[in-house]
Amino acid sequence: MSLKKQDDMDHNAWLKSQDLTAIETVFLTTLIWLDKRLRIVDYLELLETMYYRANLQMPKSHTEQYDLDNKFWYWYPLYSLGSLSIIAYLLAAVSGAMLGFYYAPSTAGAVAQGDPTAAYDSMVMIMKDVQFGFMLRSIHRWAAQFMVAAVFLHMLRVYFTGAYKEPREVNWILGVVLIALTLLFGFSGYVLPWKQLSFWAAQIGVELALATPLVGEWAAQLLFGGFTLGQATLVRMYILHVFVLPFVVTSLIAIHVGIVWVQGIAEPH
Amino acid sequence: MTDDTTPTADDRTDEQVRTDGGTDEAARTDGGPPATVPPDDETPTWSERKERSQGLAQLTYQYFERSRREDEDLRTESTYVERDVLGFPTWPHETIRNLAITSFFLGIILLVASILPSHFGDPANPGSTPAIILPDWYLYWSFGLLKLDPINPDLAVLGGNIVMSNELLGLIAHGAIFGVITLVPFLNKGNARRPVEEPGWAALGVAGVILAITLAALAIQNFFPVQLELLFSLVFMLPVAGGVVTYAVLKTMREGYMYDLNRRYYMLRPPK
Repeated sequence: MSLKKQDDMDHNAWLKSQDLTAIETVFLTTLIWLDKRLRIVDYLELLETMYYRANLQMPKSHTEQYDLDNKFWYWYPLYSLGSLSIIAYLLAAVSGAMLGFYYAPSTAGAVAQGDPTAAYDSMVMIMKDVQFGFMLRSIHRWAAQFMVAAVFLHMLRVYFTGAYKEPREVNWILGVVLIALTLLFGFSGYVLPWKQLSFWAAQIGVELALATPLVGEWAAQLLFGGFTLGQATLVRMYILHVFVLPFVVTSLIAIHVGIVWVQGIAEPH
Repeated sequence: MTDDTTPTADDRTDEQVRTDGGTDEAARTDGGPPATVPPDDETPTWSERKERSQGLAQLTYQYFERSRREDEDLRTESTYVERDVLGFPTWPHETIRNLAITSFFLGIILLVASILPSHFGDPANPGSTPAIILPDWYLYWSFGLLKLDPINPDLAVLGGNIVMSNELLGLIAHGAIFGVITLVPFLNKGNARRPVEEPGWAALGVAGVILAITLAALAIQNFFPVQLELLFSLVFMLPVAGGVVTYAVLKTMREGYMYDLNRRYYMLRPPK
């Protein structure tokens, strides 16, 4: 008996015995090559299962059963607000990533009080020198505004159509958390240009944090990097805006949508 | 598959003496076979595991059985019509509709972004407080909550001093608002979906929306040529008024529905 391993499943011999066109041969060869290394057949089986699950016989939806489709269509924009806020979020993410190439979160460069800082100068540079930069910042800002507006309206729609009721309480609470985080997103972004309004908005934030009993000073240190505003504040707001919040909010949105997917859409009556 | 001269795992035993005089057991350096894995015949089957489980595991299993049976019963009792497709077809109807509404939305954002560029003010100056400090519009309501000084309770015991700082009052107001919103699903139960079905809750919602708007107006009070006291009264009176009007309107609509239903009923069964 030879030491050479026998190939029980000689796929290549099987391939040769078939009468195939060139396209089929190339396709099968690639498939076999990939499958030998990655065993994709397992995943294909998963896909097949998913296909059959997605095409199960399902009961009629409420909207269909009571023939509400004909009256429902003009409410449709209100039911797409959640999706629209995600789209605005994605647009803000893309434009924000591009802005991040040029923005510098630094208060350096100001000789006297009221001089432009590096952060302010980088914003001026984005708006004046960077190709398309003026539009880019405008898009980022307006995408954020539209996202907040869509999120608020989304909450009102859910409230007035009673879509938060059992079994959707958890998703409602998750939505409240997401609104709070969206507002924090907006606030931290508002501080970044380090203009007068940014500075004094952050000042109000610090005063609010310090007014909180027990945890006030700790919260001020954590969020604003101290009791007076400066470089530490700007960097913390920057990290919050471009690192912490994107991860947290994106995962929460994923869970939010996932729960909607699992529970189904609360159908209009 | 294997060469004849090499012993396979099956016929190599502990007693077998190796060519160097030692045994396999003495020669092995890997610490011996794992002691934690039970032999195959002692691994409990799934049904044995179910029978053996006690306490919380047992309760969990029982509950899962119950809920599975509940689902099964609901499915068999259901009068829903079975059919081939789930809802409105995703392709092409839903996709095209979503695509249309999405591109419209993106187009509006780009249009607004191009005709209304963002504000750009003076660089930050810690030394000079600007006359008007404002956040973005969506935080106006929050900013308005920080201007509740006139209703900050003062106590005679403290010689007319306020109980807490105005900032703390604002924070507590925030907490109260977020708390109430969070509790909504636990306070409002039942199957009602339309505002008409629950005029009280709809009125509360409208009052909340109007309160957000009036609080925003309070935040930008400098822009209103109204006396502060009047503005402050309006901040709290307008939501109440809006709520009452909503309640009245929805109640009337409900009466209308009832009237319609009654009329149909009496047309079918005229009173003798």
